Amino acid sequence: MLRIGVDIGGTFTDFALHDAEGSRIAIHKQLTTPSDPSLAVIEGVQVLASNNGIAIGDVAEIVHGTTLVTNAVIERRGAKTGMLGTVGFTDIMDMGFERRYDLFDLRVIYAQPLVPRAQRLEVAERMRFDGSVETSLDEAAVRKAAIGFAEQGIEAIAVCFLHSYANAAHEIRAAEILRAELPDVFVSTSAEVFPNMREFERWTTTCVNAFTGPMFDTYLDRLESGLGAVGFGGRLYIMSSSGGMLTTATARRFPVRALESGPAAGALMSANHGQALQLDNLLSFDMGGTTAKGALVVDAEPIKHYEMEVARGYQFRRGSGLAIRIPVIDMIEIGAGGGSIAEVDERGLLKVGPRSAGAMPGPACYSQGGTRPTLTDANLLLGLLDGDFFLGGAMQLDKAAAEKAISEGVAGPLGVDTMRAAYGIHDIVSEDIARAFRIHASERAFDYRSASMVAFGGSGPLHAMAVARKLKIPKVVFPVAAGVMSALGLLVSPLAFEVARSRRIHLADVSANDFETTFAALEAEATAILDEAGVARSDMRIVRRLDMRYQGQGHEIEVVLPDGPSAGPLFEGVQELFGATYQSIYTLRLDEPAEIVNWKLEAIGPAVGLGESYRLGDVSDTAVAQKGTRQAYHPVERKLSAWPVYDRYALRPGMEIQGPALIEERESTCVVGPDDHVVVDDRYNLIANLNLAT
Amino acid sequence: MQDTEQTEFDAVSLGIMWDRLVSLTDEIVSTLVRSSFSTIVSESYDLSCVVLDADANTIAQGAFSVPAFIGSAPVTAAHMLKRFPAETLEPGDVIITNDPWLGTGHLFDITMMRPVFRKGKIVAYTISITHLPDIGGTGFGSSATEIFQEGLRLPILKLYEAGKLNDLVVEIIRTNVRVPEQTMGDVMANVACSEVGAREINAFMDEYGLDDLTALSAAIRGQSERQMRAKLAELKDGRYTNKIQVEGFDGPVDFAVQIDVMGDSIEVDFEGTSGCVRAGVNVPFCYTNAMVLHAIKSLTLPNIPNNQGSVAPIKVTAPVGCILNAQSPFPTGGRHAMGHFVTPLVYGALAESAADEVQADSGMMNLITFQGRRKDGRAFSSLYFASGGYGALKGLDGWSTMPHPSNMAVVPVEIWETMTNTTIVEKRLRPDSGGAGEWRGGLGQEVVLRNDTDEILMMLGMGNRTEFPAQGISGGGEGTLREHQLNNEAVHAKGRIEVAPGEEVRLLEAGGAGYGNPQQRDHDAIAVDVANGLVSAEAAKRDYGWAG
Repeated sequence: MLRIGVDIGGTFTDFALHDAEGSRIAIHKQLTTPSDPSLAVIEGVQVLASNNGIAIGDVAEIVHGTTLVTNAVIERRGAKTGMLGTVGFTDIMDMGFERRYDLFDLRVIYAQPLVPRAQRLEVAERMRFDGSVETSLDEAAVRKAAIGFAEQGIEAIAVCFLHSYANAAHEIRAAEILRAELPDVFVSTSAEVFPNMREFERWTTTCVNAFTGPMFDTYLDRLESGLGAVGFGGRLYIMSSSGGMLTTATARRFPVRALESGPAAGALMSANHGQALQLDNLLSFDMGGTTAKGALVVDAEPIKHYEMEVARGYQFRRGSGLAIRIPVIDMIEIGAGGGSIAEVDERGLLKVGPRSAGAMPGPACYSQGGTRPTLTDANLLLGLLDGDFFLGGAMQLDKAAAEKAISEGVAGPLGVDTMRAAYGIHDIVSEDIARAFRIHASERAFDYRSASMVAFGGSGPLHAMAVARKLKIPKVVFPVAAGVMSALGLLVSPLAFEVARSRRIHLADVSANDFETTFAALEAEATAILDEAGVARSDMRIVRRLDMRYQGQGHEIEVVLPDGPSAGPLFEGVQELFGATYQSIYTLRLDEPAEIVNWKLEAIGPAVGLGESYRLGDVSDTAVAQKGTRQAYHPVERKLSAWPVYDRYALRPGMEIQGPALIEERESTCVVGPDDHVVVDDRYNLIANLNLAT
Repeated sequence: MQDTEQTEFDAVSLGIMWDRLVSLTDEIVSTLVRSSFSTIVSESYDLSCVVLDADANTIAQGAFSVPAFIGSAPVTAAHMLKRFPAETLEPGDVIITNDPWLGTGHLFDITMMRPVFRKGKIVAYTISITHLPDIGGTGFGSSATEIFQEGLRLPILKLYEAGKLNDLVVEIIRTNVRVPEQTMGDVMANVACSEVGAREINAFMDEYGLDDLTALSAAIRGQSERQMRAKLAELKDGRYTNKIQVEGFDGPVDFAVQIDVMGDSIEVDFEGTSGCVRAGVNVPFCYTNAMVLHAIKSLTLPNIPNNQGSVAPIKVTAPVGCILNAQSPFPTGGRHAMGHFVTPLVYGALAESAADEVQADSGMMNLITFQGRRKDGRAFSSLYFASGGYGALKGLDGWSTMPHPSNMAVVPVEIWETMTNTTIVEKRLRPDSGGAGEWRGGLGQEVVLRNDTDEILMMLGMGNRTEFPAQGISGGGEGTLREHQLNNEAVHAKGRIEVAPGEEVRLLEAGGAGYGNPQQRDHDAIAVDVANGLVSAEAAKRDYGWAG
């Protein structure tokens, strides 16, 4: 079977082709076409097919990851969106969390609500917290609102009522009326998007869904017809933020679930490598030009959670963006990348990022007018990058400009020499990333010390070993085809859909029957989505999870139930399972009654995967492994010395390299420290073992 | 790849080690938050974690903790070490107190200190502070007339002695509070986080090959102090004064401040401030001090990490017995209700010397304790929080419903109703409540809450800005006042109000003030405000001369 993964990034659209019969993978990169991203996708699929001598008509599946939805929110390029809310509550969209994300900086900046106050209309209706009706829906008012929306030229509507997670009847009825009155308008209800307690986040998520719905629909139309026109007759899937594939029909209803799907695919591919290499706990580390992203992987599954932020108002600050609640791979994002600017901070000391020189003007060494020192300038000066072989030689870097920027921008003001400053910039970035991983892991009770790391992205391999050393992680994997990690990750993603519902109840008040019924309703909802995609029930795996806590606690922990045909028989084990899970995180159990807060169920189709053995098409058989040596900064000796430079494409399984060494590929360079050791495995992955004794 | 040289700290390695210390303090915070019962801890971060060196100097404070806790840790540590001298401490000792005058200003906060041993020697202390779910007495509010009514007061004592829990102390706490499991759960969360702290500090010292933290502590504090002094030197020298009135119980309370900016240091004194009142709003000095430090930091170096160095150039004094240096037995439960006014008082005084940085007054937040019984018979005592508008800054309109100077987070309507079985009937912005200005003040809000339970609901208020509105800066207008109503009749915002089944409480939250002359406001900004109904057409005409 032939399958293609396509990941649209800011600069490049990446393609990966998997040929199951031939155990072969081929990759391709194409410049992204921002005005209509489907153009690059369609053209790239044709190029990939012709390069590899296959007919597009023989391709069974195309799996697509994209940041299109995220970008539409950041750039506010969505539909003119209205909100229909419970009378008395739509101002909550302006009130937010009523919290400052910074306690000392008075100039806090927040993302504005997607739906301005004038585009929010209210109707009388009210559900109580227990799902009973207090005030029935004023249907005449809904019709009147429809007229109001039409007068404003509204293209999409988010229906957002209080307590709809407990009873969605009013939202459903209001949506029916709006669809009847306004047949061309995209209507989305909050209980269908994500039926969880906490109105502000649920409604914000629904507004994002409505805002991006018409745009995503148009995009998928273009993509489907364009691919059809070049002969594609297979199935098209969209990657979700949580690592499962969606059919295009589902993605059209829930575009919000496709936020950040590219990075999710990268984390999924890390997990896949971890599974193949039998590494239970992993840190997935992806670093590019402006940001670094991390995810934690436990037993071959990336840790998931249910909250994320998009369109942060202020430089990556948590709390300044739009708060979204959907199932999502739990990623950290750090404002550290090749373009991160080094400067003197308020303490009078060196700091790097989150400000970035971006692609324009870019680092000083790009010679595009940038004068501020960046991480890439430092890495060039330290000899970790080759000015003549940047992006495989596509771009020439100016070392003198880098040196001048660092000397004038930070070394001079701080009174240290230029090389010390350059190494400081490199080291601080590694430290910042290590710190972000530490906090992220500690918040999730994940022991990073026993974990391994998978590193990719343009800047990831430059810093991975340094970050791993700071975290005392003994092993780092530099996977093959790291430049198209997300495109590959799309090919290991199963069809999956997760639903979750808030229903807070004391465990003592739940019966096995009740337990069965609640999960059965969720199961019907989740499996229906997979039914539509043609997955047989017998091929679906059902995973049930509960968010639980001791009565009165503010935070829940997730309890994963064992697999079983139905939920009822699992009920009697819940108390013990919760206690054991709690103890594994906090080292103690409390003698307190427990309660369930959220009920979650995921239906997962069969994984296709990449099979046991595959090899990449573009390994050259003639190149010499060691290209030469380069003067690079030795962190212990604190001076430049000659480091061997290797050509990654010439390395063969079983070869070993003793550090220090620089291993170059087109998109990146793996930096191997003086005491570290690398072996090439059967799939051409580089496995680096750190000597942590030094 | 790490540096081998540890004898001196250059601008690179000092930054890295400093960040690492702050980050391990953040790890202590995350442990505390994860295992706390109190929503005020887990959702509103009413907590603080601090690492001190062997001489009890603060080196690092967790990045996210409310301003009330700046500068209190070294003072509490000194009191604790006076009671239990360092040389008598053993590994596994854990010292606690909740005394307002030794800790953080009210009985609800427990301060816990643990010595960190390395090779048999104390190299550091960790301190954690959290707001407990309950401490007995009248509950969180301002209705007490003496501290003795406000709950259990624990002197400095050892909760653990060489790793052994003092069961008697646990029994005393359990016996005195309404929710013993939750309260002890939060006390034990502090113990757990201090264990993590001790482990992480030792791991940090291993990593950098340090035998003690003395030199590093001195370098961090020295660097912070130099930067703060350099920044203070940019302020224009002189004596700046300000006087404001704040509503009390039997008439207004005067707040007065004199600020002397002298070269690279600042002295702040509160001579002229009224005496204490017989209500739980008196402010122990530690809290006054913290609010001054927060105000000055936010105007100068908001991003510098907290430690003893960054506050060294700022000297704060207040006459003994005034409401900002309250003495026992005056009650202090709602000390924030008064203490928060220190911030606008200081900003107002410095409006001339730091005109581009100061913020117009905010409407401030409102914290109300509701006590009642749910329909299923379970009792509850829950904090409701609603914020007024944020004061405008030069170049930035005030955000609606944004707290300042302290910080909390709203309890969602859906969670509140589930938790209490009361009904929030509406929650909306108050149009025209933000002060006019070239940059407009943030709007307050209106919340209506109905007692839909079968029993009396008790409402314990600590509301402010009911008589004296938020003041604008450089010609900016005032924000609208706060008001509490019961069945549409005004009631005292600091009162203890009984709400019968079916009755409605209305909270009208104060607006933030404006910055700069309203006539200078951008025409488009006015139009957007009017279109969105934040400013009515009439008010736009009156305040801005807007003709549409």
